[in-house]
Amino acid sequence: MSQPIDITLTVNGRTHRLNVPPRRILADLLRDELQLTGCKIGCDQAVCGACTVLVDGMPATACTTFAFEVDGRPITTIEGVAAGGVLDPVQRAFLAHGAFQCGFCTPGMILSVKALLARHPDPDEPLIRQWLNANMCRCTGYQMIIEAVRTAAKAGAS
Amino acid sequence: MEGSPSPFRTPVIPLDGPDKVTGAARYTFDLSLPGMLHAKVLRSPHPHARISSIDARPAESLVGVAAVVTGADAVRLPDPYYGVAIRDQPVIAIDKVRYVGDMVAAVAAIDEETAYRALNLIEVQYEPLPAVMTVEEALAEGAPLLFEAPAGGAAVPVGDGVTSLKEPRPNVLSEFGYRNGDVEAVLAGSDHVFEDRFTFSRINHFHLEPYVNVARASREQIELWSCNQDPFVLRNDLARIFGRPANIVRIHASYVGGGFGSKSFCKMEPLVVLLAVKAGRPVRLCLSLDEGLLTLTKHAGVLVLNTGVMADGRLTARQSEIQLDAGAYSDASAMTVVKAGYRITGPYRWMAVATCAYAVRTNSVPAGSFRGFGGTQASFASESQIDMIARRLGIDPYEFRRKNLLSVGEPFQPGDSGIDSDLLAGLDTVVDRLGYRRRAPSVAGTKRRGMGFAIGIKDGGGTNYAQALVKVLPSGRAIVNAATVEIGQGATTALCRIAAETLGLPLDRVRYGAIDTDHTPLNNGTHVSCATTVTGLAIERAAADALRQILEFAADRLGCSTGDLTLDHWTVRQGNYVHSLKPMIDDYFGAGYEFIGRGGTGFAYDPAAPLGARNLFWIPSWVGAEVEVDCETGRVVVKHLVVGADSGTSVNAQACRGQVEGAALQAFGQSLFEELRYHGTEPLNATPLAYRVPLASDLPERYESFVVEHGGPGPFGAKGIGESGMLGVAAAIANAIEDAVGVRLRQIPFTPERVLTAIEGAR
Repeated sequence: MSQPIDITLTVNGRTHRLNVPPRRILADLLRDELQLTGCKIGCDQAVCGACTVLVDGMPATACTTFAFEVDGRPITTIEGVAAGGVLDPVQRAFLAHGAFQCGFCTPGMILSVKALLARHPDPDEPLIRQWLNANMCRCTGYQMIIEAVRTAAKAGAS
Repeated sequence: MEGSPSPFRTPVIPLDGPDKVTGAARYTFDLSLPGMLHAKVLRSPHPHARISSIDARPAESLVGVAAVVTGADAVRLPDPYYGVAIRDQPVIAIDKVRYVGDMVAAVAAIDEETAYRALNLIEVQYEPLPAVMTVEEALAEGAPLLFEAPAGGAAVPVGDGVTSLKEPRPNVLSEFGYRNGDVEAVLAGSDHVFEDRFTFSRINHFHLEPYVNVARASREQIELWSCNQDPFVLRNDLARIFGRPANIVRIHASYVGGGFGSKSFCKMEPLVVLLAVKAGRPVRLCLSLDEGLLTLTKHAGVLVLNTGVMADGRLTARQSEIQLDAGAYSDASAMTVVKAGYRITGPYRWMAVATCAYAVRTNSVPAGSFRGFGGTQASFASESQIDMIARRLGIDPYEFRRKNLLSVGEPFQPGDSGIDSDLLAGLDTVVDRLGYRRRAPSVAGTKRRGMGFAIGIKDGGGTNYAQALVKVLPSGRAIVNAATVEIGQGATTALCRIAAETLGLPLDRVRYGAIDTDHTPLNNGTHVSCATTVTGLAIERAAADALRQILEFAADRLGCSTGDLTLDHWTVRQGNYVHSLKPMIDDYFGAGYEFIGRGGTGFAYDPAAPLGARNLFWIPSWVGAEVEVDCETGRVVVKHLVVGADSGTSVNAQACRGQVEGAALQAFGQSLFEELRYHGTEPLNATPLAYRVPLASDLPERYESFVVEHGGPGPFGAKGIGESGMLGVAAAIANAIEDAVGVRLRQIPFTPERVLTAIEGAR
């Protein structure tokens, strides 16, 4: 039952063939085996959203996702957002608006915003707030993040 | 803005930004050392109990376990206790546990899973003792004692004529007493004296990067990679606890994922070192956020204010009694009661003041530093009562404050520094933005609107010190070395900007050096909203020292005097001539030379100042709130929140705004819903699933902030701003609720139940 299983993960466009125990958590796998430490673990209970990654383009909390659940599905972590080292419009907007302080929630926050803008290129304020509810930020008071989302939307971040 | 225009008007990209938006930023959380073990902590299920025995052998013999540490190990340390001023918290429980969550044993193993499993094998026999869960219970006649013997350390030092006592009575950790004038006589001569009692709640910091430390210990060195914001405080504590000289203890700091006070001072760090010593291998201890909720809180408390006033609205005297719930151990409580007690007068003119503030031990999570540091409790009580008195006298709350506010230059209390901010101007801005003067009369109905405001104030501390180095390379690039930790406040950018401006270099040529107590000059911690002012001054002086050396070198090479030269973008100007520095340096020194500037700041003990040092600067907080109260449900919706602060000079305006809005939202959450609650002796919601912090959709419908620049003692006129937003929010909302529905909430948070009960009680 706890025999390791073979899985294939495509993370940031790179395919990894891995042999993992069934209880292997995606966040641990990303951080410990693939050294993608931009995936942060805050609450470890799918409440704070710091560990958010995109699975098939949708936000998922990596801290409560088993690695086998995402077998064969494309995963994007924060390390995969700046294609070829060029910052994404969402990242640029976060920089321009100072939409981070300690930065621990920022990778997850940026990935949630990318997913939001992919589905709703021109979100209104209530929709932005609703999406950001999945990602706690204890530092900023959220307003500067919301402003960054609006700027990214204007820049056509989707 | 007064004085010369700020050189910092241009917005900048924060220096830590590119790493933080790409996931490249490294936190202590991300550190891994070769051969590193992982630790977990066994915690007490009892609020108060004697430990009769611990059998760790089954855990020790589990495959993969390298070390188990208990009180038996701690008691052999040269000094196994820590705490600020008063040291009563053991590295790990010795003989007794004093709250649910107290650390009883710790395991280091090959991975966290094995360490968890080993915890279940540790057999602890407890002999339960009666617990005291509230201040009232702890102070009752014959109450059970948390400590049978006096703790180590000493009372917090204060100025002449001010009382600061260590453990004056059973279950009282410390007491602060302050008197100015004959309060009893002035109150007796006042037209009215109002007594009001306020209750403040307990909240957790809920920083998203958990408490995390990695320790490595050998005979030669104790090394710790820590999320702690006070590397030198920690170094000195570890040296004392382990009986080793401070120069063999080395602390490394990285980016810190939020703290808000929680990561200040010593906590579980010596336990991690002890595990590393015993295991003979590096050990990482990363607490869960659940454990974080059981590690430190903000102080709950009860504040009773007796305030005198004349019929014409002049305040006369205030007599206050403040009881803060310190929880089971000292942490920073002794210092917090000093600050709460001193700040309780608010920014007003008094003929007499008397305050008694004390920290009371209870069998609950220890309380300590939280952004605002006693000032939030004081501001809530003071600004609530000021408003209540105005309404009772039928005076407009704005007019009442205007009449009594301290003016610029007036000392906060005799012997202390003068107020350095135009308090009335800030209040006017809040009142204008709120639309207070042109507001519509309240309409009868089930949903009522009201407006309220508040002026919080705290000091920026007076006993701060810092040293700094600025190293300038021949290429005209510089490294700033100082011990202020980047915890999200933007210190990296602000401090580098100060050095860059002083050296005439663009910001992108200056880097903030890695922090490590072996190489980094010391300061007293990342505290009191003081980084930009205190460490900033040290850096400005270090940069000026480097600049002097550079100009002296150039003058010597050019055969002129330094007065003929200026440095700009790494070229030396001499009248119309421009000289490139790099060739000059290479020519003279060869490849290897750096200009190393040194600077420092320190503020001497001054017994004439009430707190033993004149306050460096004042941190005002102007808040206005418009609320809508649903009289049928008791629900309070904040429709409009205006928060203002004074940065002295904004070294980075965007970061200042972020500080103000971030702090105010924390206070907003505490005002309306956030609270760490107990059910009897058990924490009720000490888990992220149940502990509610503000989310994006909790934001007030309109949320505005403003930052004024009235100058300060720091570089280029800067002063601290980080705690400001915390101070006035709760009172402003309470005042708006009374304005809306005529009932007074004296206890936070203002939950629908409490509001509804108050409304129904008034019917």
